[in-house]
Amino acid sequence: MEHSELSPAVLFSLGPVHVTSTIVTSWGIILGLWLASSLLCRRLRLTPGPVQTAAEGVLGAVEEAIRAVAPDHARLLLPFIGTLWIFLVVANLSGLLPGVHSPTRDLSATAALAILVFLSVHWFGIRSQGLKPYLRHYLTPSPLLLPFHLISEVTRTVALAVRLFGNIMSLEMAALLILLVAGFLAPVPILMLHIIEALVQAYIFGMLALIYIAGGLQSQQQRHTPQGERDE
Amino acid sequence: MELSWSTFLLEIVNFLVLVWLLKRFFYKPLQAVISRRQKGIESRLAEAGKAQAEARDLKQQYEQRLENWKEEARQARDKLQRDIHAERQKLQKELEDSLQKQREQAEIVQQRQQHELRRQMEQQAMEQGSQFAAKLLQQGAGPELQQRLLDLLLGSLEELTEAQRRPLREQMQETAAVVEIVSAFPLEGPQRQDLEEALRDVLQQDYPYHYIEDPKLLSGLRITVGPWQLGASVRDELHAFVKLAQAAQ
Repeated sequence: MEHSELSPAVLFSLGPVHVTSTIVTSWGIILGLWLASSLLCRRLRLTPGPVQTAAEGVLGAVEEAIRAVAPDHARLLLPFIGTLWIFLVVANLSGLLPGVHSPTRDLSATAALAILVFLSVHWFGIRSQGLKPYLRHYLTPSPLLLPFHLISEVTRTVALAVRLFGNIMSLEMAALLILLVAGFLAPVPILMLHIIEALVQAYIFGMLALIYIAGGLQSQQQRHTPQGERDE
Repeated sequence: MELSWSTFLLEIVNFLVLVWLLKRFFYKPLQAVISRRQKGIESRLAEAGKAQAEARDLKQQYEQRLENWKEEARQARDKLQRDIHAERQKLQKELEDSLQKQREQAEIVQQRQQHELRRQMEQQAMEQGSQFAAKLLQQGAGPELQQRLLDLLLGSLEELTEAQRRPLREQMQETAAVVEIVSAFPLEGPQRQDLEEALRDVLQQDYPYHYIEDPKLLSGLRITVGPWQLGASVRDELHAFVKLAQAAQ
């Protein structure tokens, strides 16, 4: 199977399933996070050490960010949003390792994550309000807006996938081009930019996912909230 | 740039597995530890609150006790001041009494001193008066005056009662003394006879008579019969007058 810098290489196939470097890198990330979590949580103490303090700090920061957007559903959304942020940070930064491509430079991976966000919005919305009340919000404030709602659902999901893919892929491509043109160590500044961009993109993706999910959760609630209370 | 359905589906599965793994091995254990710590903190906070409440109660009790002590101290101070005031008044009164007593004693002493001074002055005046009178009478004294005084003496002897004469007689019998007659001027024979007769009449017995002249008597005479002395001289009269005046004071 042919591959270019824009499409990841297929490492092996299991019948119709082609396992690409993106999948293998993702497995590596998952394995690393699992091992790190297992090692960390095996030594949890009430008086935390530096590593546990850092882990609790990460968890606390994620929980606080979720609580700021969806105060009543912080515990419910934490596993999904937290995992999204952690995975995206690690996946985006993994491209800095020599010989490793970031999974998020693959449109299939970012599309998968975007689809998961899309599905999560509906899953949490229906779970919170019920099917009919949730679907009814597509008809508000007027049924005429239904097509726009549907287009919005699709475009924002596509935007999520393409934004992350475009940024990470372009960074890696820029670094590769500079390496080819200018030589060894020349792309170091662009790699520094890669770190910042990786963190920013992970934050944007996670925060947008959170906002979409919180919007789905609170759509029916907002419809029933009086105008005065909303202004407050 | 193409979409790989295998990658797409496997990535979905990968992510869902990662969600499960992190939830199982990261979020839950950490949340449990945080929750336990929070419970511990809340428990310690509750204990601290309880301790604080107890401390507040204790503080209130101590403040109340302190207030009571202050009140007791104030009452004790008031009582002490009252006692001091009473003691001061008592001491002041005692001092005033003592001063009054001393003042009275001083007045009495002063009065006595004045009285004594006055008495001494009067006595001195009497003595001076007596000396003056003696001096004056000395110039006017003579046998005639002595005769008149002898007459007075003889009259006095006659007027002696039996009760007055008896002790004289008994005394003379016991002592067998001499009758001593002192005169300022020499007594003539008739004068001596009248006198001896009068004495014999009083004493009922004859005794030896011893006549002596003493110009200090100024005029008149003095008869000494044992311990008994009868004076009828100017000097004795003046002495008697002075003593009488002193006795009258």
